[in-house]
Amino acid sequence: MPKSQYVDPNRAFDSGFIKFHDIPVCQYSLTIEDEKKIYSKQDLINIYRDMAIIREFETMLNEIKTKSVYNGVEYNNPGPAHLSLGQEASAVGQAYCLDNSDFTFGSHRSHGEIIAKGLSSIKKLDNTELYDIMKTFLDGSILSVVEGREEIKGDVKDLAIDFLLYGALAEIFARRTGFNRGLGGSMHAFFIPFGIFPNNAIVGGSAAIAMGAALYKRSNHKKGIVIANSGDGALGRGPVLEALNMSSMDQIRQLWGEGGGLPILFNVFNNFYGMGGQTKGETMAWGQAARVGAGVNPDQMHAETVNGYDPLAVIDATTRQKDLLLRGEGPAMLEVITYRTTGHSPSDSSTYRTQEEIEAWKNADPIKAYRTKLILGGVATEAELDAIHDTIVRRMTKICRLAVDETLSPRMDLDKEPEAISSIMLSNKKVPSMDPTREAEVLIPKEENPRLKSLKVKSRWAFDADGKALPKMKIYGLRDGLFEPILDKFYEDPTLIAYGEDNRDWGGAFAVYRGLTEAIPYHRFFNAPISESAIVGSAVGYAMAGGRAIVELMYADFIGCAGDEIFNQLSKWQSMSAGILKMPVILRVSVGNKYGAQHSQDWTALCAHIPGLKVVFPATPYDAKGLMTEALNGTDPVIFFESQRIYDIGEQFHKGGVPETPYEIRIGDPDIKREGKDVTILSIGATLYRAMDAAKILHDKYGVEAEVIDARSIVPFDYEKVLESVKKTGRIIITGDACDRNSVMRDMASNIAELAFDYLDAPPTVVGSRNWITPSKELDPWFFPQADTIVDAVNDRLLPLPGHVSTHNFTDIERLNRLKNGI
Amino acid sequence: MATVVIMPRQGQSVESCIITEWKKKVGDKINVGDVLFSYETDKSAFDEAATVEGTLLKVFAEEGDDVPCLEAVCIIGAEGEDVSAFVPKKDEGSTATAETTKEEKKEEAPAVAEAVATGTANVGGRLKISPRARNLVAKTDADVSKAVPTGPDGRIIERDIQKVLDAGLTVSAETAEKLLRGEKVVFAETKAEEFHVPAAAPEAKTGYTDEKMSQIRKVISKSMHTSLTELAQLTLTTSFDASALVALRASLKAGGEAMGVGNITYNDMILFAVAKTLATGKYKALNANLIGGDTMRYFEGVHLGIAVDTERGLMVPTVFDAQRLTLSELAKQAKTLAVDCQSGKANPDVLRGASFTISNIGPTGIESFTPVINPPQTAILGVCSLTKRVKEKDGAPVFYPCIPLSLTIDHRAVDGAPAAKFLSELVRNLENFNLLLTI
Repeated sequence: MPKSQYVDPNRAFDSGFIKFHDIPVCQYSLTIEDEKKIYSKQDLINIYRDMAIIREFETMLNEIKTKSVYNGVEYNNPGPAHLSLGQEASAVGQAYCLDNSDFTFGSHRSHGEIIAKGLSSIKKLDNTELYDIMKTFLDGSILSVVEGREEIKGDVKDLAIDFLLYGALAEIFARRTGFNRGLGGSMHAFFIPFGIFPNNAIVGGSAAIAMGAALYKRSNHKKGIVIANSGDGALGRGPVLEALNMSSMDQIRQLWGEGGGLPILFNVFNNFYGMGGQTKGETMAWGQAARVGAGVNPDQMHAETVNGYDPLAVIDATTRQKDLLLRGEGPAMLEVITYRTTGHSPSDSSTYRTQEEIEAWKNADPIKAYRTKLILGGVATEAELDAIHDTIVRRMTKICRLAVDETLSPRMDLDKEPEAISSIMLSNKKVPSMDPTREAEVLIPKEENPRLKSLKVKSRWAFDADGKALPKMKIYGLRDGLFEPILDKFYEDPTLIAYGEDNRDWGGAFAVYRGLTEAIPYHRFFNAPISESAIVGSAVGYAMAGGRAIVELMYADFIGCAGDEIFNQLSKWQSMSAGILKMPVILRVSVGNKYGAQHSQDWTALCAHIPGLKVVFPATPYDAKGLMTEALNGTDPVIFFESQRIYDIGEQFHKGGVPETPYEIRIGDPDIKREGKDVTILSIGATLYRAMDAAKILHDKYGVEAEVIDARSIVPFDYEKVLESVKKTGRIIITGDACDRNSVMRDMASNIAELAFDYLDAPPTVVGSRNWITPSKELDPWFFPQADTIVDAVNDRLLPLPGHVSTHNFTDIERLNRLKNGI
Repeated sequence: MATVVIMPRQGQSVESCIITEWKKKVGDKINVGDVLFSYETDKSAFDEAATVEGTLLKVFAEEGDDVPCLEAVCIIGAEGEDVSAFVPKKDEGSTATAETTKEEKKEEAPAVAEAVATGTANVGGRLKISPRARNLVAKTDADVSKAVPTGPDGRIIERDIQKVLDAGLTVSAETAEKLLRGEKVVFAETKAEEFHVPAAAPEAKTGYTDEKMSQIRKVISKSMHTSLTELAQLTLTTSFDASALVALRASLKAGGEAMGVGNITYNDMILFAVAKTLATGKYKALNANLIGGDTMRYFEGVHLGIAVDTERGLMVPTVFDAQRLTLSELAKQAKTLAVDCQSGKANPDVLRGASFTISNIGPTGIESFTPVINPPQTAILGVCSLTKRVKEKDGAPVFYPCIPLSLTIDHRAVDGAPAAKFLSELVRNLENFNLLLTI
């Protein structure tokens, strides 16, 4: 809601019409004679060759999957294979237009796109550069398998084609010599040095991610465009629609200054089926997929429909779209009509379509048609094209033989290296700036920041000299502890961007970002649409492309809206890339209270459950600043939990208050907030303060000394301090605001029970929230753990306190009943 | 301050005890060492002596009451002291012992309340104790039987052991370990509720008298019934020529007095022979327990249970590792155990843990019987009376001293053939007892 844009009631009701212009559908009409003037003979023949390579690659996989043998090479491949037989012309036509600096993102059916983009990059890169890429990638381990086996000895391009096909096939066969050590597989194969970005097994998963890569190009002034490839079925997915909208949002062209719209092309390969559901006529309403683009923005996303069975028609359309994007008129959309002549996967018997239909499309085969055109047009002879085909079959047989060879192409050996996958789940690098070569773009010198100035006069310790609590307005609060390191990082790392709902002028719903609007230009700090999937998905793509991002979801409850992007994308790409990709993304989420069932949930357990994420939940200004600094310097995705109960709380624990200078707190290191010898209370998040109150009651009324440990982090978590404490006290309560069932607290209790069993005087006891909806604020004490709940738990489960009468029911019978009833 | 006297736990398998006699009544002056009351466990009788002096202020149980171990039995304190804080909740308002609670002046509640007992720590023979408290016992040999559980649900926790240690109550390392060992199989286990005495007095009848079974009789009753209904018992009988035993006994009587071996009995010799025969390891299924119907627990040592007839009923103390003992050592131990049982002072810990039992019916003229197995053991040997029998020697009948043997086995655990082989080797050993002594 920038103030510069006036919402005028006198204009809001102006009458008129929204006008659409015509959407071109298969308008390409050049003849071979026209085309011969545009393309060289070699280009035209190479287009044939590239399509034929894809055809043979997919045919090989189909033979392996259905018959376990290809040209005498026997192999059983248990993994998936979603083949694109029939779709070769659309892939090759697209790739023909792309440079190495252009990025493609794909779907589960993207073998053809990988090969086409790879062949295009091989053609366009010079030999030295090309050889250098192969030599250095994964320490040359892929090159060493194919080098010396090329048909034309000493020909780098010929070698590179072997390299490309082998790297992709070894990846599909889950070999250590695959592009991603076999950890990505068929649906996630990619090769960044050729601009081939991850394909995605989640339908439509690439749309927001590709948009994030385009955002990276736009915000960091990088050349090239980004293509988000998907099938027609993906247009049914919310995250795709979110990405279409967010990539087109007005501010990019209207408020972001030079650079124009996002350089992204949403390319829909419309093969008429989303798995078995027929899109046109059954599961969709748009008739022609290009219609979707028409509704997104006044440019109608420049959407058009093109004949994907004619590679030259695809080249024509893609070239025009690319030019638009480079002129800053993006984003764009293209519908490429095509057809897959085999099933969704080899196990699909195509019960949803007729044999007649399949035969008709096979007769319209794009490769056969193009071959006939070349021969009739006098571009090539039958013999020339046959020779090309023979070479391809020889090459493919060789590649297949190499890829199934257990010695040359071993799988990961988890007997010899049992922790090989552990070692790539997180990258744990410290990279203060993702691009130290550039100056960060800012609007004012840091010292002039108005918020930084106001913080100068605030107390960084919560109490005055007499130990009395200072008024909230006079103290440096937890939200300031978040702001400081973020502001610092904006000046240190030129790639850092931050966005989310209501981030800019509002300063974030909880005022963490107040003072950033004045300092940071729009293209680095902006309001996102209410599109949680697109917000998180784009951050993933932004990081893949080489940047660092902080995205915010406001309430932690909205994690559900971005489920796939957090759980399948953000968490997985470092490891699925075998550590090649880094994911420096901080996802800020805030746990509410007072706002009822859909705005008050601590969902740390959901995030902690997913391998590949770091999860923190600081509860003090000192910890918030230290953990944010650490997270911002790192290269891993961090889910940063905050609590709305304590944004304004001052520092009460770290003697001397919150330092002005930067410092890091190791993620995973819990902190002892109060020492004691009789019982340990381990708290998660804002529950710390109620745990401290409980400790006071235990001390004052019962002479019991509680040791209070603030978890601070959840994943990773270093149990050392906790176990040491439990060895001392023999008793532990684990408390937090999450619902008890399957919570992080339960996980911690189980670990502590196993690791400190011999020292325990009572079972580790969890005091979480009830397994209910969060009721209204007035009913808080019955739902969230309170100081007296903790004291009752100590009395009932750990150490009966003489004279104490519990008001909460911690008996086994009650527990069993609740479990039995699912509450 | 008033002191609560609790029912002590005597042995790990004991859950409750019956108060047999009150030696003091409410209002009596008590000195340290005065016997307050007598009580009996499943197997033994004990006297509870006062450890503090004062006045007996209140009792919570009558003679004949079955009191769970570690529950309060009575209170000793200063005359007129308010003891309401110590009265177990369930007894509040009860009139049974109201005689003691006269109008007493109220006193301030103690500033720092003591942790109170939260239940009984021994459930089904398994000690309810936290790992931390258990480790403290292992380290310090604290007498866990004296610990009053103050943890949730009657769990013994660290502070309870600490209290035992503060009172200087420790035992030998071996006993501490035994006390801690959770027993999954406890023979003669009883539960207080099962033997609950109805509150109503029996109706007056003529011609007979109803008498409540003693605790021990009830245990025997239950144990025997269980044994006969749940096991597959089979008895084999044989006899042996006791000439060697008779000769040895005669020489022991004649000259053994001076050497301190004059009291060795035929039964001691049979115990010795059984120990040596089982110790060969050839009959391990007989020196074993059958646990839960599907697990055999084979013992390395021979732990001989010896049936002893007492006034209270049958008791079976155990000689552990009998195979290691000389004849004279074995005889001494058997004697001591029998005396302890007859005087009701046997340690409950020796009244269990046997791997094989011998029951000697003695000079009663019985020539054969079917001993009843003491589960989970798999066998019991019955020794009958010494008689004269005739056998043929060099074509002429001769008399010889004979002792018949009856071996009952649990057919679930062991078959008849190995049992017969065991009996025949035992007979050979007994008939050549002098040779056996040289082993």
